Amino acid sequence: MRYGVLIALTAATSALAVDFAREVRPILERNCYGCHGPEKQKSGYRLDVREVALKGGESGDAAIVPHSAAKSPLIRYVSGEDEEMLMPPKKSDKARLTAAEVETLRAWIDAGPAWPDEFAGAKDTKPHWSLLPLVKPTVPAGAAHPIDAFILARLAEKKLTPSPPVDPRTLLRRMTYDLTGLPPSPEEVDQFAKAGADRVLSALNAQLSTNRYGERWARHWLDTIHFADTHGFEHDDMRPNAWRFRDYVVESMNRDTPWARFVREQLAADAFFPEDTRLTAALGFLGAGTYDSSAAGTAPMSFEYLDRDDLVTQTMAAFVSTTANCARCHAHKFDPITQEDYFALQAVFAGVGKGDVSYDDDAAVAKQRRHWQGLKDAAEKRDAAVLLAAENVALVEAWEKTRGAGDAWKPMLLETFLSAEGATLERLADGSVLSSGATPDKDTLTITATTTVGELTALRLDLLTDDSLPMKGPGRATNGNVHLSEFELQVFRPGAGKPEKVPFRRASSDFDQTGYEVGKSIDGDAKSSWAIHPSVGMPHFAVYELRAPVKLEPGAKLVVTLRQLQGGSHLVGRCKLSATAAPAVSLLAVPAEAETALHTPAANRTQSQQLAIAGFVLRARADDELAKLPPMVQVWAAGRVAKNERGVITLAEPRTIRLLKRGDLDKPGDVVPPGALLNARFDLPNAKDEAARRAALADWISDPRNPLTWRSVVNRVWHYHFGRGLCDTPSDFGKMGGAPSHPELLDWLAVWFRDDAHGSLKALHRLILTSATYQQSSAPNAAASALDPDNRLLWRMNRTRLDADSIRDSVLAMSGRLDLAMGGPSVPHYTSKPGPQTTPTLNYENFDWATPGAARRSIYRVVWRGIADPFLDALDFPDMGQLSPVRGFSASPLQSLALLNNEFVLHHCEHLAERAGGIPAAFQRVLQRDATPEELADFTALATKHGLPAAVRVLFNSNEFLFLN
Amino acid sequence: MLSRRNFLTHSAGGIASVALSHILAGETLAGLPELNGGLHHRAKVKRIIQLFMNGGVSQMDTFDYKPELAKQHGQMSGPKEKPEGQTAVAGAVMKSPFEFAQHGQSGRWVSSVFPHQAKRVDEMAFLMAMASKTSVHGPGSYMMNTGFILPGFPCMGAWISYALGSLSEELPTFIVLPDPRGLPYNQKANFSAAFLPSRHQGTIINAAAVPPVPNLFADKKHAFTGAEADRDALALLQKMNRQHAAAHPDDTRLDARIASYELAARMQLSAPEAFDIGRETPATRTAYGLDAPATEDFGRRCLLARRLVERGTRFVQVWSGPQGAVQNWDNHGNIQTELPPMAANVDQPIVALLDDLKARGLADDTLVVWTTEFGRTPYAQGSLGRDHNGGTFVTWLWGAGIKGGIAHGSSDDLGFKAVQGVTYCYDLHATILHLLGINHEKLTFRQSGIDRRLTDVHGHVIGEVLA
Repeated sequence: MRYGVLIALTAATSALAVDFAREVRPILERNCYGCHGPEKQKSGYRLDVREVALKGGESGDAAIVPHSAAKSPLIRYVSGEDEEMLMPPKKSDKARLTAAEVETLRAWIDAGPAWPDEFAGAKDTKPHWSLLPLVKPTVPAGAAHPIDAFILARLAEKKLTPSPPVDPRTLLRRMTYDLTGLPPSPEEVDQFAKAGADRVLSALNAQLSTNRYGERWARHWLDTIHFADTHGFEHDDMRPNAWRFRDYVVESMNRDTPWARFVREQLAADAFFPEDTRLTAALGFLGAGTYDSSAAGTAPMSFEYLDRDDLVTQTMAAFVSTTANCARCHAHKFDPITQEDYFALQAVFAGVGKGDVSYDDDAAVAKQRRHWQGLKDAAEKRDAAVLLAAENVALVEAWEKTRGAGDAWKPMLLETFLSAEGATLERLADGSVLSSGATPDKDTLTITATTTVGELTALRLDLLTDDSLPMKGPGRATNGNVHLSEFELQVFRPGAGKPEKVPFRRASSDFDQTGYEVGKSIDGDAKSSWAIHPSVGMPHFAVYELRAPVKLEPGAKLVVTLRQLQGGSHLVGRCKLSATAAPAVSLLAVPAEAETALHTPAANRTQSQQLAIAGFVLRARADDELAKLPPMVQVWAAGRVAKNERGVITLAEPRTIRLLKRGDLDKPGDVVPPGALLNARFDLPNAKDEAARRAALADWISDPRNPLTWRSVVNRVWHYHFGRGLCDTPSDFGKMGGAPSHPELLDWLAVWFRDDAHGSLKALHRLILTSATYQQSSAPNAAASALDPDNRLLWRMNRTRLDADSIRDSVLAMSGRLDLAMGGPSVPHYTSKPGPQTTPTLNYENFDWATPGAARRSIYRVVWRGIADPFLDALDFPDMGQLSPVRGFSASPLQSLALLNNEFVLHHCEHLAERAGGIPAAFQRVLQRDATPEELADFTALATKHGLPAAVRVLFNSNEFLFLN
Repeated sequence: MLSRRNFLTHSAGGIASVALSHILAGETLAGLPELNGGLHHRAKVKRIIQLFMNGGVSQMDTFDYKPELAKQHGQMSGPKEKPEGQTAVAGAVMKSPFEFAQHGQSGRWVSSVFPHQAKRVDEMAFLMAMASKTSVHGPGSYMMNTGFILPGFPCMGAWISYALGSLSEELPTFIVLPDPRGLPYNQKANFSAAFLPSRHQGTIINAAAVPPVPNLFADKKHAFTGAEADRDALALLQKMNRQHAAAHPDDTRLDARIASYELAARMQLSAPEAFDIGRETPATRTAYGLDAPATEDFGRRCLLARRLVERGTRFVQVWSGPQGAVQNWDNHGNIQTELPPMAANVDQPIVALLDDLKARGLADDTLVVWTTEFGRTPYAQGSLGRDHNGGTFVTWLWGAGIKGGIAHGSSDDLGFKAVQGVTYCYDLHATILHLLGINHEKLTFRQSGIDRRLTDVHGHVIGEVLA
């Protein structure tokens, strides 16, 4: 049937059909291919490939609408109907299409368009290297170590040979800096030189097992994902909780978390490992980038869009070395990434916002919290299945047994009472106080009293009715209501000069007006209050439990303040105060419904009565237990619930993500579901479960079949060991990135790392560092340079300059000042004072380097995005506004001045001089070698004239110290 | 004075001098002498002073005269919903509280807040229809400085340093003189080299500090430093580094570091003189307003800017106003009281700078650019202030290669949006690069798979303002 229709259509149009090959293609070739053909594809559009020609270019609109020349932009452009878009453009030297040519195209489109398969063309026949499936290549013969085998094979092709092994001192320096970011001590160099054949393995195992390793390699990852301690942008505020993520990365490196798991933890620890709440710190990955708090408040649409863009860019660059963000405005010009792919990635993160995310640092505490919070929720919902479960019934029964009888409360003995606004107060026979006379708008009642209770655990406030009050009270407002803004207690001890404030833990009452719960009378906010409307004309009471019992010696006085600041004369009419020493749980003011149920013998209670009691008792118990738990901690991350400068922001469900034509917020297109590259779209059972979206992306990335992930990570590690990756653009494996120098080796390493090493970075380091390739000399070789000047084939080791952190940490280590304390809040290397707005004013120049903590490793310093440390900046510490997969190298007079004159350097010159005591030891510390006789003479002369620190200063500025051979 | 290239050859002692110029220059493309220092065509401008008014100058209260505002004053004709980036819902149309008058032969309208600049309008080329893609300070300041609304991109000064290098090795190539009351929005990130080599970033000079260049000299409390100790230490360092480099003859980075210490020593010699405005005549100091409290600070920094460009600094950026709610151009609360003091800070010094550059012949190859990150709304915020408005604002250009007395583009009748001859930062940057002899499309740096440009994928040279 369907075929029948097709055949009929074809038959009907065949009479008018224009021959593509003979009539259409020559027109396109002559007029269009120059800019939209095999060589150039302006606006991402080409007319030599059927798929693209029909679909359209970057604009996202189809260029050719089947069966409608009138609707096809191609015709409008070439005909000049759309003057602005006239094609070929006026500026070009090409003539306009003739009317006949335009007519041919019209007829061709109206009739189909028919575009035979043999002329379909192909965008690209072979996938780009990084997208080819991972297959483990055979290791070439010629060397025992697989890395050496691959390297030798390529060298042999060029008739090159590797360099000889490097001397032990240089090798140990190289290894120690690579793995720990610190220099070896002179003693270690000495021992290494004397050690046996297994010295490399034992030295590297020792280094991998110190925590210095994680500190070093965490820095690389933090560079890669542009992590910093502040927001950047207009309000470059400190993130006091960002450090928990930094500590997580250090720990993960030291623990050697397998790579797939490292991916999963950072993207969706909450989804994969909900029990292990400590891993919430890993989600700091999601918050690593910049944050424009100003735009978040005033330009939310563009803020959310660009904030997600930053996260998409970071995630795809860091894990799969892909520049997905290039497809924000149009299909990626060079890589097979569509705009749909890009927005599918935005959809992955559409359910989270940046801010502090709270969690329990201890999984056992988290378990407790979940239990009691669950019980509390069940109590609120009156969930019979939970509340009447045996264990909970037992809790309720126990409570009922300990429930204090009425005589637990001892009336307080009022001594003085005072109305701030001059109401008349009178003590009645039952010990209560009645207010009359002037009815001020607001008032504060202060009562001084004593009690016979020795250890006070709670106060009870009774609001009583009286015939003299409107509606019989208990309030003085015309409707009988009362608003108690704040209820406060102070203790005046005998002989004490001033009273002590006594904080409350909880308030409960027999009745609350909606929106005016009793807790609001102890929240410290005078604008909120406890009230009892419409339950007027009857007494009410509240119980205020103390945060901790207070011992009252004889003569101690209690001062109770009742602030009634609502206005409208919502004042207390008649009240009474009592005190008790009874344990807290038994003291709760029981709501009327439960109170009634309690009067029914237990055996006769209906289920609804049981639930009324259990709901009340268990809720209170849950509150008690939750209050006892240690407080949650925070990490700056992104989450469905996160706290930032706008408060606690909760996203009920992920935002809808639409494709934006040309990346323009004003041109929304179709809704795009969450997904990843190459048209991967996630099939999720619950579209509203945002964590599942992140988990799906983590699964996609960490999938063993993902060709990018495994190549990306091994190449990154290679980059840090050799100063350059096998692909020299570690975060870009696209067509604009570098081509790998040794594609087979890269693939072999990727598969080996994934399958044999099970994603262990430490195993990868071991493999690389035990190769002869790594251990060869960096010495020059003119003949080899002539053939491979860039050393792409690794006929020698690359010389690298120490990075900023290693230079700073070395100076500390060499001068004997390095403080190895790990973790915790980031350490400032500046003094600060309040700035004009929320960003403080920092001064790096007057910082005292003797400050405790100032000599900790650089990974623990505050990295301020907008107010970078000028010293580390001069040494090429990257701008954390952007991802930094590679550190730069620069040489400038300002860098030289920083190394010569910065207070950090000078301060430590003095320390090292003092520690070394002479030129020979200073050379050993800084360069791990003896001074030559000539050097000894020169440096001694300088030290004699200007002091030993002057000689150390020269060493700290020397290229020999700053470069690794 | 040795030229850059001569100096390099000398300092490297002939060893790998070609490669060395590659690494020092290699991260600098370096202008070509035959193009008057330009990179792609003949340069008309060799040095630039940019005056950046932080906070968003109200265009309709300064240079963009809008008589229609008075007619519609008090009408609620603005957008009903708060536009993205504005901090409040638009209030009623508000006329300018200041008098406007026409000035010069060009008849340019200028408000009474700029009496000095009004006298030089025939020398300035006005971009009357600049627009931004944002109305938020952070992204807006990034955009005007780096061409992108996101952090992490090099600013124009860094690009120029990267492209052309220095005119003198004795001073930093790109100097920033922030308002001593505080850094602008985005802090130092507005002056970042981002992914360009870090040596191209702006050197921030605290005009009041001694020495103004950070780490120029060691703190005197260290007895092992000082003029003689520094000289002896440097001599030994260079000897040691040369011996080291001789053993590693194929690594130009080693030579580059050796050269950079020579340059540092020269900077130590020349920088103190360059920053010493005490050497200026009393007449000059008075002209810049150094003896009046309102103009003293900005005047000092303008004078410093002149001394710096005169001595070979390529690009000086002078900021007016710190971030924050006060003491800048972000006049949300009350235009009538907040704008005039800011205007008074800068007006006389700016004109003194222009006149001084002219008198010294520096105007022949110096460009002065006056700008801000965005404009303000014709609708009142509260009842007396104005809100952010990326829709339209004004920039002026003065000096070498500029056609004076003309105005390019215009905004709508209320000054809410640019409507004709609209220019973005891309066009401004393209024009400035053009004057420096640089084709903005060819000045690129590969980063994360993209050949990045100051002008992104945009930018047209604004031919109308060129002489």
